Amino acid sequence: MGARQEEAGSEGIEFTLDAPDALAGDPAERPGLSPWRLTGRRLRRDKFALAAGVVFLLIVAACLAAPLWANYVAETTPEANHLSDKVLIDGKPTEVVDLRGTPIGPTWSDHFFLGADGNGRDIMVRLLYGGRNSLMVGLVAALGTIAIGLVLGLLAGYYRGRADSVIRGVLDVIWAFPVVLLGVALGTALALGGLQIGPVTIEGDSLAIPILIIAVIYIPYLARPVRGQALALREREFVEAARAQGMGSLRVVFSEVLPNVASTLVVFLPLLVANAILLEASLSFLGAGVQPPNPSWGTMIAEGVERISSAPHLTIVPGALLVASVLSLNIFGEGVRDALDPRAKVRIEH
Amino acid sequence: MTIAQAAQPDFLDPALSYSIHGWEPMWTAYMPLLTYKREGGSELMPGLAEEMPEVSADGKTYELTLRKGVKYSDGTPVKASDFEHSIKRVLNLESGGAPYYEVIEGADKYLSGGKPDADISGIEANDKTGEITIKLVEPDSAFNFVLAMNFASLLPGDTPFENMTNDPAPGVGPYMFTKTVPNREFVLERNPEFTADTIPGVPVANLDTVKTVITTSVPRQTQEVIDNKLDFMQEPVAADFIGEILDRFGPDGSEEQRYKEFTTLSTYYFFLNTKTPPFDDPKVREAVNLGVDKPALARLFAGTLEPGCSFLPPEMPGYSEELDGEGCPWGDPSQPPDLERAKQLIKEAGAEGTEVTVWGDNIDPTPKVTQAYADQLNQIGLDATPKIVDGGVYFQTIGNESTGAQTGFLNWFGDFPHPANFFFLVDGATIQPTNNQNMSNVDDPHINKELKELGREPDINQVTDRWEALNEYLVEKAYLVPYGYRKLSTFMSERMNFADCTPINPVIYNDYSQWCLKDE
Repeated sequence: MGARQEEAGSEGIEFTLDAPDALAGDPAERPGLSPWRLTGRRLRRDKFALAAGVVFLLIVAACLAAPLWANYVAETTPEANHLSDKVLIDGKPTEVVDLRGTPIGPTWSDHFFLGADGNGRDIMVRLLYGGRNSLMVGLVAALGTIAIGLVLGLLAGYYRGRADSVIRGVLDVIWAFPVVLLGVALGTALALGGLQIGPVTIEGDSLAIPILIIAVIYIPYLARPVRGQALALREREFVEAARAQGMGSLRVVFSEVLPNVASTLVVFLPLLVANAILLEASLSFLGAGVQPPNPSWGTMIAEGVERISSAPHLTIVPGALLVASVLSLNIFGEGVRDALDPRAKVRIEH
Repeated sequence: MTIAQAAQPDFLDPALSYSIHGWEPMWTAYMPLLTYKREGGSELMPGLAEEMPEVSADGKTYELTLRKGVKYSDGTPVKASDFEHSIKRVLNLESGGAPYYEVIEGADKYLSGGKPDADISGIEANDKTGEITIKLVEPDSAFNFVLAMNFASLLPGDTPFENMTNDPAPGVGPYMFTKTVPNREFVLERNPEFTADTIPGVPVANLDTVKTVITTSVPRQTQEVIDNKLDFMQEPVAADFIGEILDRFGPDGSEEQRYKEFTTLSTYYFFLNTKTPPFDDPKVREAVNLGVDKPALARLFAGTLEPGCSFLPPEMPGYSEELDGEGCPWGDPSQPPDLERAKQLIKEAGAEGTEVTVWGDNIDPTPKVTQAYADQLNQIGLDATPKIVDGGVYFQTIGNESTGAQTGFLNWFGDFPHPANFFFLVDGATIQPTNNQNMSNVDDPHINKELKELGREPDINQVTDRWEALNEYLVEKAYLVPYGYRKLSTFMSERMNFADCTPINPVIYNDYSQWCLKDE
């Protein structure tokens, strides 16, 4: 576990939300532009971040096109086993999986473009479908974290007192666990019995389980800085003015404080998604994330480990795509952060 | 020599150990009244008993006499009463092997009494004459094999009623434990009290010392044996290395042979819960038996699975080779399945699209097998989804009636070469709401009746044909889907005399005491 993000105002991290203030020192900025337009203008100048964003979008687009590749090119499904089948390579029929269980490597043709796995399943097809699962888990979990973390952080920071103590206590409990350890513990327990929340039942092999686990685990990483900001913002004049005009507390929170933490959320979103994708891969690798037969990059790497010498493509291919996704998102996220506020240092470290 | 295991044996106490990791070393350090012939095969011979037991006409009384002058590795003389003490430890410590000895008269009272030193009325031992008499509640055709299990190894009468793993008890055998460091290593050294005359037919150990180190990584073990840094690995070689090892060290390899595979007394099968739709319909069960692609599944085991159709494995009395060929009612297991007929049967049964959950644990290669099996069920028209659960809770989960497990992965490695040791898995009398082992819930009057009658027959040779017929009947009824027998391997360093010193016992597998170096 590395260094953790500190609350706003403490050493090691600084959140500056007042964009005009933040931009005051930049003589290149034109007066009169809104903070968001200024951000967009700055981001467009950061070619490296933009390129990373494009790479990520290409990966997303490829994964969304998975059914097209599966149906019209590979002519198989991500679950279909081809253990006894043969494929033509240079006109010669070759076993997809040989008698000793070694799968075929990349054929660079329609069928088994990136080779097969130990069950004779098309790696390319599984990679694209697995990407859909990995990206969906990452994105939905990050949005879940933001939704819950934002509300908790705002309430704790604005109301202070008992609400703050209770929320902070709960967040501290989650914070106290190493991320992967907590994820594996929850994932293993829920994969067997599923989850029953009132009338809602989530099956153990549902994608909702890793989404929920990852979303919950990362809540403190968002809620604590938001709380810090809410604590500072509640003392600002515009909030006092709103209160003086007779606004209710909840209305003040959501109409006055919330818009002022929006830039933090924008910075956090790509970083949270990247971390959620990485955590999903870790959990799936350890058998506590996405459950078979659903593919994900993490499960694909786990399935390939035992053949890392005789069939290295099983781990290299999903590993490379995982690295590309996370790296591109992180670079893009850093670019967004720099564009919003060059002085801010936001990291999610665990 | 130094050898490796991937995990610490469950126990280094013969009353408790119930794993290959424990049984192999234990077999060289402890001796029951009966044992297996050392040159391989599954034939029994007297161990600490002078002769094979005399069995009464009703099959309920076994009389044996202890060998004279035998001493444990610490020099303590072996006494007849040590046998009763050893069985008491098995029962009292709630060993996994305890159910095998509950057939002894008075065992139930001993267990319910809860007093370790209490008497087991069905065992009479005379230390002066060495005579041991065992009375059973009912005849048990496999009891000779039960007497030959490691659980029944004799230990000194003062061995405490506690797990002796950290300080293994003295025993009778070619080796003795001299050092144990849990999760790191344990050492066997030649037992000075054991001579060629101690147990005729059980030779003294060839090597002075066998040190076992715990190395969790199987690929690392494999590489170290290839590099001659380890002399033997207890685990099957890592799948990643099998091709290279066969090419170099296999029977037809380019270098001197150091690797061989042997078929175990095991059956890999899928259970079909006959109490739950859709497998309560015989047509669906037949379709599944027709539709399972056994040669394809064998590839998932990196070639270490021999495709089969029989429930009883090769070398087991009652096994029929014909059943594993064209005699199989569901098609030759070495050939692709008859998918069209399977689909037709599913249609006729009206089971097309029926949702089926396929259970498997997370221990390799089960997840792969479970997914391949689910895919094969989908190919014949069912709507199957694999469900992988942790290996630690797998059997409790699927063995619980409330789970309602429809079908899934199972295997059974025989504890001894007697068909009863396999057929209890389909005995209607063993069905229970929790911890059920008859996962298919087979409750067939014919099977139940035959098992009851055959269980009373002390001489297996007299009833081999009936076991064979019962095996065929079980397969024809399609209560389950046997698909093969597991092969394990012996892989050694180049300094070992592989050709002459690696006999395989079908139950225990490797006999450390007979290993030898090339220059010996």
